[in-house]
Amino acid sequence: MKKFLLPLLFLFLLIFESIFVQYLPDGILGKDRILVPHFLFVALLFLTIFVGKKKGVIYAAIFGLLFDVIYVEIIGIYLFLYPFISYLVSKIMHIMQANFIIAFLVSLFAVALLEVGVYEMDYLIHVTNLDFMSFLTLRFYPTVVLNAAFIILAGYPLKRLFENHLESLRDE
Amino acid sequence: MPQFFLNKRLIILLVSIIVLVALIGFSLREREKLTWPEQFIKDTAGWVQSLVSKPTNYVAGFFENLQDLTNTYEENKELKSRIENLVSLEAEVQELKKDNKELRDILGEKETLRDLKPLPATVIGRNPDRWHEMIIIDKGNLQGVKKNMAVVTASGLIGKVKSVTQFSSTVQLLSAMDPKNRISAIVQGTTDVYGLVEGYDKEKKLLMVKAIPSSAKIEKGQTVITSGLGGIFPKGLMIGKVVEVKPDQYGLNQTALVKPGADFYDIKSVMVTKRLMAEPDQNDLTGGKEEGS
Repeated sequence: MKKFLLPLLFLFLLIFESIFVQYLPDGILGKDRILVPHFLFVALLFLTIFVGKKKGVIYAAIFGLLFDVIYVEIIGIYLFLYPFISYLVSKIMHIMQANFIIAFLVSLFAVALLEVGVYEMDYLIHVTNLDFMSFLTLRFYPTVVLNAAFIILAGYPLKRLFENHLESLRDE
Repeated sequence: MPQFFLNKRLIILLVSIIVLVALIGFSLREREKLTWPEQFIKDTAGWVQSLVSKPTNYVAGFFENLQDLTNTYEENKELKSRIENLVSLEAEVQELKKDNKELRDILGEKETLRDLKPLPATVIGRNPDRWHEMIIIDKGNLQGVKKNMAVVTASGLIGKVKSVTQFSSTVQLLSAMDPKNRISAIVQGTTDVYGLVEGYDKEKKLLMVKAIPSSAKIEKGQTVITSGLGGIFPKGLMIGKVVEVKPDQYGLNQTALVKPGADFYDIKSVMVTKRLMAEPDQNDLTGGKEEGS
């Protein structure tokens, strides 16, 4: 059962993101803002930070691919950005202590990086023609705020979960 | 310099960027069909999503009902005032329908561009990243959904089917930016004016209907419907109402900004419409040899 815990958690978050967007009341934070949940990515980052680089990057690649196939239908965007940013985060964590505050700040930074990265890629392949300033006000700030709220709410349970997971790995 | 190439990480990064570009190029192509691994993953995910979405639909519906209760009184008042008009309108519609049928019988025309067969479907997912505006519905190939079919809600057109798997399909919304996505439309007035729905203004949340001749007179509040001339969509699906008209870049055409009838952010159940009239053969439209050559 323990073996399936992580994949099940990530699968749940993958589906939960879509449900979240579908049922999100339109009026929250003003009518003209777009909130993008990156809950799955936050969980993947916490996995990278608290369990290990290798596992984090592999899971990030697998779920990036799933995300691309199921939701985006352009394979490559998240398949590349998820593992790449996870790897960067693991590099940053080399010089930092793995406590909750640091994890919060680093993963918020990573979410911001992801959002900008996806914007740049989509701009490149003409999925969007939004200019950068309206991208910032329309999507970027609300998204960062939403994900910060998510990390504050779910970060601590996630941290505990991954630390327990790491310990059970050690015991084996 | 040799060290530079021996750096393992750099090589991995370079290789993965090449693979990335290849993959994006592959999936950006206009594809007839998804590859089978993609179909398999989407079907599996669709199954899980439909399992989850039913109870959530139920719960969300309950809360919505509660919300509705709070402004029942106001709504009731307004609806009552409308219902009086409705009765006379209904009688008129009946009359016109009968007339239309008789005239059609005289002409001997059985099918029109208007005839369609609706297939109800439930929304089971939505793309969370919201760049690619897409929703996933629970009807697929087995139920007769085909690529490029028009998808509507009760209040208007919302998009077209982008890809189909066995049990689910993906709908691209009108609000997605896709230069290949053009829909032939009619602005209804004393004379019908034709245009193309092309693009969406994200900040204003308005659709853009382009290529309207500059001589045509278009006013605020006119209704825009599909024309059925594109080959796949049926005629007469509601798109929206004109809000603003402006000349285009070179002044040769006009662009009408249209407020969509359907809300793209609150979609629960949709209808996939199948046009009954035969589609024109693609070869007749595009390919084929020029005459006389």
